[in-house]
Amino acid sequence: MPGPYKETDLTERVEAFLSDLKRGGTGAGPLRGSAETARETTALLRKITAQARWGSAGDLMEIIRKEGRRMTAAQPSETTVGNMIRRVLKIIREEYARSRGSSEEADQESLHKLLTSGGLSEENFRQHFAPLKANVIEAINELLTELEGTTDNIAMQALEHIHSNEVIMTIGRSRTVEAFLKDAARKRKFHVIVAECAPFCQGHEMATNLSKAGIETTVITDAAIFAVMSRVNKVIIGTQTVLANGGLRAINGTHTLALAAKHHSTPLIVCAPMFKLSPQFPNEEDTFHKFVSPHEVLPFTEGNICKKTDLNHVPTFGKSFSDLDISSLSFFFFLNTSHFSLRISGEILSKVNVHCPVFDYVPPELITLFISNIGGHAPSYIYRLMSELYHPEDHEL
Amino acid sequence: MRCYAVVLPVRSASGLSGRKGAGDQEEEDQPLQAVLVADSFNRRFFPVTKDQPRALLPLGNVAMIDYTLEFLTSTGVQETFVFCCWMASKIKAHLKSKWCRPSSPNTVHIITSDLYRSLGDVLRDVDAKSLVRSDFVLVYGDVVSNIDISQALQEHRHRRKMDKNISVMTMIFKESSPGHRSRCEEDDVIVAVDSKSQQILHYQKTQGLKKLQFPMNIFHSGSDEFEIRHDLLDSHISICSPQVAELFTDNFDYQTRDDFVRGLLVNEEILGNQIHVHVTKDGYGVRVSNLLMYDSVSSDLVRRWVYPLTPEANFTDQEGHSCTYSRHNVYRASGVSLGHGSQMEENVLISCDTSIGANCYISNSVIGDNCIIGDNVVLDHAYIWNHVHIASNVEIIQSVICDKAEVKEGVTLKKQCVLAYDVVIGPNISLPEGTVVSMHHPEEEEEEDDDEFLSDDAEVGHRSDKTKQKVFNPAEVGAEGKGYIWKASSLDDTEEEELSQCLWGRAAVHRHGTDPESDSEDSETDGPDDPVIPSPEMDDVKVFHMEVLGTLQRGLEENISCDNLVLEINSLKYAYNISLKEVMQILTRVVLEYPFQQQGSHLTPSQYVALLLPLLKKWAPVFKNYVKRAQDHLDCLSAFEEHFLEQESHWAAMVKVLMNMYELEILEEEMILRWFSQGATGDKSRQLRKNQGVKEWLQV
Repeated sequence: MPGPYKETDLTERVEAFLSDLKRGGTGAGPLRGSAETARETTALLRKITAQARWGSAGDLMEIIRKEGRRMTAAQPSETTVGNMIRRVLKIIREEYARSRGSSEEADQESLHKLLTSGGLSEENFRQHFAPLKANVIEAINELLTELEGTTDNIAMQALEHIHSNEVIMTIGRSRTVEAFLKDAARKRKFHVIVAECAPFCQGHEMATNLSKAGIETTVITDAAIFAVMSRVNKVIIGTQTVLANGGLRAINGTHTLALAAKHHSTPLIVCAPMFKLSPQFPNEEDTFHKFVSPHEVLPFTEGNICKKTDLNHVPTFGKSFSDLDISSLSFFFFLNTSHFSLRISGEILSKVNVHCPVFDYVPPELITLFISNIGGHAPSYIYRLMSELYHPEDHEL
Repeated sequence: MRCYAVVLPVRSASGLSGRKGAGDQEEEDQPLQAVLVADSFNRRFFPVTKDQPRALLPLGNVAMIDYTLEFLTSTGVQETFVFCCWMASKIKAHLKSKWCRPSSPNTVHIITSDLYRSLGDVLRDVDAKSLVRSDFVLVYGDVVSNIDISQALQEHRHRRKMDKNISVMTMIFKESSPGHRSRCEEDDVIVAVDSKSQQILHYQKTQGLKKLQFPMNIFHSGSDEFEIRHDLLDSHISICSPQVAELFTDNFDYQTRDDFVRGLLVNEEILGNQIHVHVTKDGYGVRVSNLLMYDSVSSDLVRRWVYPLTPEANFTDQEGHSCTYSRHNVYRASGVSLGHGSQMEENVLISCDTSIGANCYISNSVIGDNCIIGDNVVLDHAYIWNHVHIASNVEIIQSVICDKAEVKEGVTLKKQCVLAYDVVIGPNISLPEGTVVSMHHPEEEEEEDDDEFLSDDAEVGHRSDKTKQKVFNPAEVGAEGKGYIWKASSLDDTEEEELSQCLWGRAAVHRHGTDPESDSEDSETDGPDDPVIPSPEMDDVKVFHMEVLGTLQRGLEENISCDNLVLEINSLKYAYNISLKEVMQILTRVVLEYPFQQQGSHLTPSQYVALLLPLLKKWAPVFKNYVKRAQDHLDCLSAFEEHFLEQESHWAAMVKVLMNMYELEILEEEMILRWFSQGATGDKSRQLRKNQGVKEWLQV
């Protein structure tokens, strides 16, 4: 029986995770990779399943939904959290159905059945099964193992897609794409062009990592994407989220890249593990965008665009200055009139609005292929994967 | 506490002995602490803060103190002491509900006292209760920041390790060009900093001065390169060592941090303490010190400069306060209704259950909970708190309207008006620029000015009875208006200026076109007492010598503790204007000559040693207080050398004394060796002879 100690321990864990999520997104996206977030979420859900008080599957689903709503609200831009919650809910449904003895997929195969029966309603989850807890935990463990292997599974397919002497373009930094390219580099020689992805410039880090692995790498500015595209054989990118319509929510600049690729008819391949698949649609506007501090776009000092004056730039005095023979004991420093011109420019600047969005929406028409840990899919197939992974009733938590 | 992993290798590289390493380990296990001063100790926001302490005033619909606590928590602080004075019970109630959860990683202790009247009092109390164990973060309850201080903290700790606790404080500055809207005019500083060590050499508030003076000695300090910076914005966040609290106790006249910084810089030579800066380029850190700053911080917040502390993040987890974020920085919470034809132009934050009528035009504004706003209302830079009613055809520009105030039809509020709690204005009246209206009568305030800090909620209630007897002036606040104008002609000119300074800050005064002369005048009066140190005359040195001797003698007779001796010597140093180097040398000489002074000069070396050693042991803490840096050791040793050059007959005693000083940890081995190798400049014949004994001992 879970004692009171365990209960507080659990809430502490949840609170810690929530505050982590809230503070996680400083500047350039999450501090941790989304794979890690997915693993942590699932591990936490397993803990909740094991330690919370619940009698039937319905209770458990209610608890998980409640925590899930808080978790997704804590960092709406991190869709992986919501995805993992939906996966776990689906697991509970399946395990419950199996315990009852009905077959797993019986309730949604035919359109007719869907319309008439309406699936299992909440009432039906009230039955108590002793082995349910163990089964659910076992299934969540399987999910965790699956999560562990996603990057490797995607990287394993690299040789099918990358051929010798190809020129590959990518943008920003994606751990999955990095693993993918490195895996291919073991057998093949190819050239990678990395768009730096201003203003955060994660592309620089990506390029360093790739060149360390012995891959010939070139960094270009985002503005040069179109110009370079004619030389590129394939574009391979990562993404933050795969949306329900097969579109992407990816790092800023990806849309430009995708349009350039379309113009040159260059295939665009997206490496996305299954846990990034979200039942969200691009029209859900308020959580779709993420705007961070405009600091990266226009530094707070704002010194760069106002008239440069000697005050604006810090005067530095060398030793030689103090060696000069100055008879007076004090040194006078005049604030010249430019101080006032600066104040005026400061006021004008306060009227400037600076925005720094993090994500781009890429419509599905621009995407050629998704490579996930279970193989390659066309964007039009995403809806099918969606129905396999999530229960339709869980789309809204 | 992420930074530790990085600090460790540096420390081990510095080659500290094993014993000290263990000490470090202990210190590292200490949780990071913070002292949060939830009182401003001034009356900047005055008619408003009469009903609500400043730390609880809403900024972007969240109390200011919540931002500060969130900043501390996210920076890794594990224990926070909140000091409250004015309306402590309200702050306590507020904190209890949000920050005192058992699951919070930051333990919040609330300490209240009516006796705090300045930052100095708070820190003296910190020292008296010995609350802090190691370095702590010092902030005010109205600081809004997202600066990552871990690097500054790491630098601070590193300096303290390397320099034997000389550095007592690291102030965190943010780069920001002069005239930037988030720079508070009153807090404008010019700082002279050593480029390499980041040590503050000179610190001065500009206060509208056009001409600044720098003492020459900063140019002659040992560094090769230094910077004079005016592009710094004081974030009012500082990392302090426990010594800071002690120093406040020692110097009971320190009231503010500026006093402290100035005092420390002037006395740097005596006390040997240094202050450093950490300049950060990114992050945001501003103190809301007046309403002008309130305006600019609010707009920065809405423009997302303080990310991740944005309005839609709802970091305080208030129920129903989550809002959605859409284009042009428009935030809307749940239950907001917007009439036909109303526009939210840009940078607008509207909290829950507020309804807005038709054909309104709202820009750059923050509106609180449960407000009702009529038709054809124009709001620009308006800060409207909770439960405010605004009727139709109202125009409000750059003004603050507090809780439960009511603005009737056809009212126009010009720039920088303030309507305090429960005020009613209108109908059909236009308030001129800078009007402050409050339910409290300004004269009544005058009467009870003295006990203002001691008054609590009960007294406020009692006062409101009295106010009812006085009548509202319909010409000022409108036919149905309720409230008293605070800038009325009843106050004479100077006070009028003061008041507008209080609320909207100095910049506002400038904008009105008031002469900047007044600024330069008053800053001249409280301007820096320039530490131009002329070389002390010989007489002073001699007198000082005698005084030190007298002090030590008295100390021995009356058994005065070493701390008090240090204090006395310090005050003597002031009186005779003696440099730190001379203090060191004179002190050394006095102690070494002490046996001769008492017993006459005919002592044998062995008698001399027998008399001197207990004295040394007794006064070792006094020495340790002065002998800190390498140069101090050398100065001390040169005085030592001088003494024995004069007393040739006692060379035999020298080794013993030196050894004793080493054992008492007054002098370091390394420094003795350095002195030994350097010291053979003059009087070689003598040196060589006396070195015989020393050499043997050192070689062992």
